[in-house]
Amino acid sequence: MKPDINIALLNAAQEIINRFSPLIDDEYEKSRLGSWGALILISALKLNDASSSLKKENHDIIEWLREHSTISMKELDQFKILDNKTIDQYDQDNQSLREMFDKQFEAIQEEGDKISLKEGIDLMRSMHQRRKVSDLIGMLQQQEG
Amino acid sequence: MSQDLSSAFLAYYSEFQKKDFSLISFERIFGGASRETYKIIVKDNSDNEERLVLRLSQDSSLIETEQKTEYLAYSAFQESNVPVPILIDMSEENSKLGAPFMLMRELKGEAASPFTPNIYAPHEVDLGKQFWSILGEIAKKEIDKDIFREFIGEVEQPFWKNELDKWVKIIHEDSIGIEPILEAGIRHLYRNPPKESETISMVHGDYRSGNFLYSENKITGILDWEMAHLGDPLEDLGWALSPIWSWQDKDRPAYLLKREDALKIWEKTSNISIDKDDLNWWELFAAVKGMAIWISAGNEFKSGTNIDPINLFSAWIPGDIHLEIILDTLEKNI
Repeated sequence: MKPDINIALLNAAQEIINRFSPLIDDEYEKSRLGSWGALILISALKLNDASSSLKKENHDIIEWLREHSTISMKELDQFKILDNKTIDQYDQDNQSLREMFDKQFEAIQEEGDKISLKEGIDLMRSMHQRRKVSDLIGMLQQQEG
Repeated sequence: MSQDLSSAFLAYYSEFQKKDFSLISFERIFGGASRETYKIIVKDNSDNEERLVLRLSQDSSLIETEQKTEYLAYSAFQESNVPVPILIDMSEENSKLGAPFMLMRELKGEAASPFTPNIYAPHEVDLGKQFWSILGEIAKKEIDKDIFREFIGEVEQPFWKNELDKWVKIIHEDSIGIEPILEAGIRHLYRNPPKESETISMVHGDYRSGNFLYSENKITGILDWEMAHLGDPLEDLGWALSPIWSWQDKDRPAYLLKREDALKIWEKTSNISIDKDDLNWWELFAAVKGMAIWISAGNEFKSGTNIDPINLFSAWIPGDIHLEIILDTLEKNI
């Protein structure tokens, strides 16, 4: 079995940060290369989950829209999670679903119904938790150190 | 660093000062994606050294701002209680150095990363008192009439709407996809506007940890005024207080003093009493404005216009943090 892409990226990042960056005298170029190392490291750590996170987000938005909107089942069915979809297709679906969710949440903000507002915010929080990379900031600082 | 730029600079500076100089060093500083910043040391024929800072506009920068804005803002605070570098020259033309630029004397001190916890220890109390009181000084400074006229020309009141419209436009022009959290935050701001400020102040526009120089326990300079404008003094306060600048210790804005102590110092120095609701609005605005900056950076990176890793970093890390701040604020306001 071949090493996975994320392992390759992880090792590339380690080499950049620990091996090549210290060899550069120019402070600007050194910092710039160090930043690339850190960003590749983040990419490596997030790569494995990219597809499953997107599928889960799409699924959660569809469920939320079923409950909180009048959008028809037929319309929502086009965004069904199917095994033969590529990550780009999931991403396209995600953009459409986010737009639909945003329109619906705008209506909820206008109505001001507290329960629906809370449920919308809970969905946005779970979407954000899955996507965010800022939780890796501590690790990046350790790398810098 | 481009050899052409250092040669062009030497020729320009010798001509400007009407004497010959030789170059000792010419180093670009990493960070600050809105300008290319260079630390330069030159010496004349009598071996007198001069330490300079050159701020050069980028072809593609995070936020398009004019050199003149920054130059005028620095001019407004020369020889005041707000420490700023001494200005030497400014040009809005490309003919001298290939891009518009501003030249200043280098100030003593170092700048810290705004994302490193406890970076100011053990001087966080001394630096904190100065940081918040200098911001109060900016808020209360009476601006020179000519400079005021230059800035006010662009302002449509109310200030909050002018600023919000400006950043929302950038968000909608540069967004790669729709971000529901951000859109919800923007709607909240438009629906719950603050009162119009009775004070018109010079707003720094990016007053935060990391944008000042310090030497041990003394702040030696306030930098990066390229987003300066006239407006509500609470705007700077909201930006400086943003939890993004103290993400791992949110009760101590900018990793300096406790929030309540910071606010007391600012009120005392500025002679402005803070309206809590208005400040809350400006704090949420700060997160939306931040998102505009990070989205703009992401767009530069994705389009290939500027693949400096700081643009990708900005889109990823601070972008995440500001979204979380917007989400927290929306939840609190249910």
